[in-house]
Amino acid sequence: MNSRRRVHLGAVMAAGAAVLLLILLWSVIDRPARAAAGNAEDYASPLELLFSPDGTRLYVLCNQSNEVRVLDAASYSLIKTVAVGRAPRGFSLSPDGTRLFVTNSWDDTLSIIDTQTLAVVATWPVGAEPSSVVEDRGGTRLFVANRISGDVAVLAAQTGEEEKRLLAGRGASYITPSPDGSKLYVTHVYPNPHAHTTQQGNRLTPESEITVIDTARAVVVERIPLPRIAGVFHTAFSADGRLGVVAEVHPKNLVPLAHVEHGWALANTLTVFGADVGRPVEVPLDELERYASNPFDVVIAPDKSHIYVTHGGSEIVTVVDVQRLLHFIHTHPGSFAQDLSASANYVVARIPVGHNPRGAALTRDGSKLFVANRLEDTISVIDTRANRVASTITLEGPKTLSAVRRGEQTFYTARYSFQGHYGCASCHIDSTFDGLTWDLEPDGFGRDIVDNRNLEDIKDTEPYKWNGGNPNIPMECGPRTEKYFWRSENYDNLTLAALSTYVRSLPARPNRWRQASGELTAAQERGKAIFERGKDKFGNPIAVANRCSYCHSGPKGTSQKSFDVGTLKATDHASPLDTPQLTNIVLAPPYLHDGSARTLEEIWTVFNPNDKHGRTNDLTKDELNDLIEYLRTR
Amino acid sequence: MTPWGRVLAAVVPVAVVLLVCGFGAETASIPDAPIIVTAAPVYEPLAALRGEERFPKGAQLLMVQAGKAQPLVPDFAVTADANISFDAKTVLFAGKKIAGDPWQVWELTLADRSVRKVIASTGDAIRPLYLPGNRLVYAQRTGHRFQLTAAGLDGADAHPLSYMQAGALPADVLADGRILFEAAFPLGAELSRNPARGVTPELYLVYSDGSGVESYRCDHGSARWGGHQLSSGDVVFTHGASLARFTSPLATEQRITAPRGDYAGAIAETISGAWLLSVRSAPSAPYALKLWMPGSAALQTILMQDRQNLVEPALLVPRLTPKRHPSALHEWSYANLLALDARESREGTLKITPARVRLETLDAAGHPVALGTAPVEADGSFFVQTPADKPIRFVLLDQKGATLRQEHGWFWVCSGEQRICVGCHAGPEHAPENRVPAVLLRSTAPVDLTGNRQPIAQGGH
Repeated sequence: MNSRRRVHLGAVMAAGAAVLLLILLWSVIDRPARAAAGNAEDYASPLELLFSPDGTRLYVLCNQSNEVRVLDAASYSLIKTVAVGRAPRGFSLSPDGTRLFVTNSWDDTLSIIDTQTLAVVATWPVGAEPSSVVEDRGGTRLFVANRISGDVAVLAAQTGEEEKRLLAGRGASYITPSPDGSKLYVTHVYPNPHAHTTQQGNRLTPESEITVIDTARAVVVERIPLPRIAGVFHTAFSADGRLGVVAEVHPKNLVPLAHVEHGWALANTLTVFGADVGRPVEVPLDELERYASNPFDVVIAPDKSHIYVTHGGSEIVTVVDVQRLLHFIHTHPGSFAQDLSASANYVVARIPVGHNPRGAALTRDGSKLFVANRLEDTISVIDTRANRVASTITLEGPKTLSAVRRGEQTFYTARYSFQGHYGCASCHIDSTFDGLTWDLEPDGFGRDIVDNRNLEDIKDTEPYKWNGGNPNIPMECGPRTEKYFWRSENYDNLTLAALSTYVRSLPARPNRWRQASGELTAAQERGKAIFERGKDKFGNPIAVANRCSYCHSGPKGTSQKSFDVGTLKATDHASPLDTPQLTNIVLAPPYLHDGSARTLEEIWTVFNPNDKHGRTNDLTKDELNDLIEYLRTR
Repeated sequence: MTPWGRVLAAVVPVAVVLLVCGFGAETASIPDAPIIVTAAPVYEPLAALRGEERFPKGAQLLMVQAGKAQPLVPDFAVTADANISFDAKTVLFAGKKIAGDPWQVWELTLADRSVRKVIASTGDAIRPLYLPGNRLVYAQRTGHRFQLTAAGLDGADAHPLSYMQAGALPADVLADGRILFEAAFPLGAELSRNPARGVTPELYLVYSDGSGVESYRCDHGSARWGGHQLSSGDVVFTHGASLARFTSPLATEQRITAPRGDYAGAIAETISGAWLLSVRSAPSAPYALKLWMPGSAALQTILMQDRQNLVEPALLVPRLTPKRHPSALHEWSYANLLALDARESREGTLKITPARVRLETLDAAGHPVALGTAPVEADGSFFVQTPADKPIRFVLLDQKGATLRQEHGWFWVCSGEQRICVGCHAGPEHAPENRVPAVLLRSTAPVDLTGNRQPIAQGGH
C-alpha cells in the first residue's frame, strides 16, 4: 500500500470510538443540562421576518420556540410573544395589516393573530405541512402552500373553509404575491417528478417550476419552467412589478462527483423574469473560489437598485446591482449559468452575517435590511448604504449551545466543504432529502447511482449508505464525508460528535395518515395484511425471507440487514442492499437504491418482475393501493 | 562565522534605512513583527525554473527587527526561502551549511535557535513551504529540473507531486490547502533564458497529494510568478516587473496599480493589510524591501542595502493553518479521466465533434509517444484510463484521424486519481453542465490507454 494513501485505520477507529463515547456521554449529560443549555424548542430560531405596514413593528417567526415575537422596529425591544403551533414555517399579513397568518407546518394548522391585540383569534385546520400563506387583496381568500401534498389550498378568508386545491410543484412551500396582488407565484423545494420513464431511467435533468395563480379566479394560469433546478425558495418582485427574482439551487447530480472545485456539485443561482428581462434567465451567484451556498430569501430594494439574497450555507447576504444585472443579461444573450465569473458583473457585495441566515426584510425606505440568523437567535441589521452589519439584535433564549444546537449549526453551514461550496443541508433540505439521485465518485463513474435518503428518524437504523458500508453516523458524517463530499479538512471530533448527536435527534415529521385513535382504516388494514402475509393469493406459502415484514421489520421498518431484492443494475457493484427504514416513506420518492422507481407502485409493477422484492405479482391494482395505504402509516 | 556572516554582521546594522516617502493618511505603518528576508548580491528569480541558480553569488536570510537586520542563521554559508510555521515558532529554509553543499531544507526553532536538517538529498532541495498535517512541500532537483515534492516534517515519506520534463517550484500553500506553484506555460515546456515564443512562467495549482493539477487561470500569455495569497483570498503575483492579482470573482488577472518600480517575487501581508514588497527603482539597482498600503501613492522603505537584493519577505507572525486535503486517491497504478465535452475550450468551441481522442506521453528523450485512441461521443464526452505519474496530453482527431486540436502543454494525473474535465482547456470559470455524459450511457468502463495493452474500443459517434 502506498504510504501517502494509507488509511490510518487504527486512528480512524480510535477517533470513531471517541466520537461515539462523546455522543453517549451527551445523551446522558445533555438531558439534565438542557435546562441551561436549551432544548431545541427553547431556541427561538428566527426563520422569517415581516414589518408591519407602518414600519413600526418587526414580526419575527420563531421556528423552534413556536412563537411569533413582535419587536419594536426602532428600539428592537420585545413588545409581545405570541405562541402559535408547532414548527411555524411561513407567515404574512393581511393587506390591511390587521391580521397575521401563520402556517404551523407540524400541526397542519393556520394561526390567525389579531395585530391590534396580538392574540391568536383563530386556529384553522389546513393541508399537510402548510408552509406559507397569502391573503388576496379583497380579503376573501387565503392561499396556503402545502409541502407534503404539493398544492395550494384555497380557503375562505373569514372562515378557513377550504374551497379547492391547486396543483403546484412537489414540495410547494413559498407563495409571493405580485405587487398588485393579481397573481401569486408559488415555488417548491423538491424537483417535480418526470412524467415518463425514459431510456436514461432515473438519470434525467431535474425540473422545477413557478406556479402562477390568478388570485381573482383562483386558478393556475401559468407554470414558468425552471429547467435544471431542484430546490426553489423565495421569490421577490420590484415595486413596479417588472422584475421578478427567485432563489434556487441548480444541482450537478448527473455528473460524477469526483471533485468539488469549479462548481462541480451545485450552483447557487437566481432566475430573473418579468418585463424587464424578457424570457426568464438563470444567473449564477457563485464565484470561482467562493460560493453562495443555499440561497433562501430574496428582497428587492424599493427603488429597484439592489437585490438582497440570504444564503443559509455561506452565512452571507449577497447584494446584486439591478442595473448591472439587467445590462449584463441584455448584453449576454443565451445561458451563462455555468460561468463562475459572471457574478462579478452584478454581485457588488457579500456581507457576512450569522449562522444560517434565512428570512430578510427591508425597512420601507430601504436603508436597513434585517436578516434572521436562524441558528444563532439573532437578527443582523445591515446598513444598505455601507453594505455592512450595523448592529445585531439578540433574541431572548438560552445563552449556551447544546450539543444538538451545535450539531445543527454544523449541519447547515457550508464552511467545511472545499471553498465553502455546500453543506449537509444543501442536499438534505430542511434536514430531509432532495429528491435526487447522485453519482458518487468512489464507486466509479456512472456506477452505483444512489438515491439520497431521507434523514427523518434515522437514529438506530444503522448501517448507513445503500450498501450498508457505514456502521454508524459518526463514520457516515466523518471520514467518508470529509473524503468524498467535503474534499477538505473536516471538523474536529467534538464537532463531529455534535453533528452526529443532531442527526440522531432528527424526529420523524408527524404522520398524516395515521388516525388519532391509532386504528387503521379498512384499506390500511388490508394493506397491513398484505405486508405481513405468509401466503399469496393462490394459497402458496411465501418464504419468510420474501415477506415484506421480514426485511422491513421492527418499529422503523428495517431489519437493519442487507438483501438482494433483484433491483441491482448492470452498473451496480454486486452487493446486497441495506433495507431502508419505512419512516414517512411515502413522502420521499423516488424509491429503490438508485431512485429508479418514481412511485411506490412502480417498485412492484416495474422493478419486481421476479418477486424477489417480496411476492407482489399476484396483487391487483386495488391491493397494491391498499399496501400503499398501509405504508403511508409507517 | 562565515565570510558572508562577517560581512553582513558588519554591514547590515548600519545599512538599515528607514526612509519614509510620505506619511499620508493612507500610508502603512511599519509592522511591529520581525521580518525575515533574503539578501543576495544577485537575484535571478526565474533561474530555478530553468534548473539554474537563483542566487549565484550567495544569499543570506536576515531577521529585520526594530530597525536592525541580523543574519538569521549565521553558521550557514548560504540561506534563503524562509517560510514561517503556522504558529510562528519555527522557520523552514533552504540552506547550504558549507558553500559547496547542495541546497537542503532545514528547520530553525526560534526559541532556542536550534537548526535541524529536514530534507537530506544528494540534489538541491529548495523553496520549502509548510503544509498542514506536519508536512511540507519543496522543490527537489531531479536531473537538471526541480519537481514539486512533499514529505513529512521528519523528512520521511517524500514523494513527488509533479511529473514533468520541466521545472516546477512551490510558491505558496493556499487557505483551501492547494499548492500554488510556478512552472512554464504551456505546462511541461522548458523555460530557457531565451524562451520560445509563447513560453512564459505561469502559476498553477495542485492538491497536496499531487492530484488535480491545473492552471490557476487560463488567460495565459503574461509572465506570472512569485504568487502569494492574501487574507482576502486574492493571490498577488509578479506580472513581468509589475504586480497583478487573481481574485475569486474574475476569470482573468487584475492589474494592480502600484507606485512605479520593478517588483519581484512574493509579497508578504501585514496585519494592517499593507504589503511588504521587493522593489527596485531601475534594473541596475538592487531590490529594496518596501511597505505599501494598497491604494496609496507612496512606498515606504523598510530596508535597503547597497549591492544587496532584499527579496522573499516573510512576517514572523502566526497565521491561519490552511485546510488539509483529505486524499481520496484509489489504490491503482493508473488513473481515470472523463471529459464531459472535448469540444469546449477557451479558444473557442469546436464546430466539429471529434471522432476520437489520442493520448500521448513523452519518452525519456522527450519525444511524444502515442498511447492509443478512444472514441469521442456525439456530446463530446470520452472516458479513458491513463498512465499515471507521467506527462500526458490529449489530441482530438476527426473521422480521418487528422488533428482537430491538441493541448498546448503536458499535465499529469496521479496514481489512483479519478479526474473530470468540463472540456479541453475550458478554464476554471467553466462549471459543468448537469447531464449524464453519453460515454457513461455507453459504458462505465474507461477505454484503456495506459499503453499496457491495445485499445479495445472502436468506433465513435
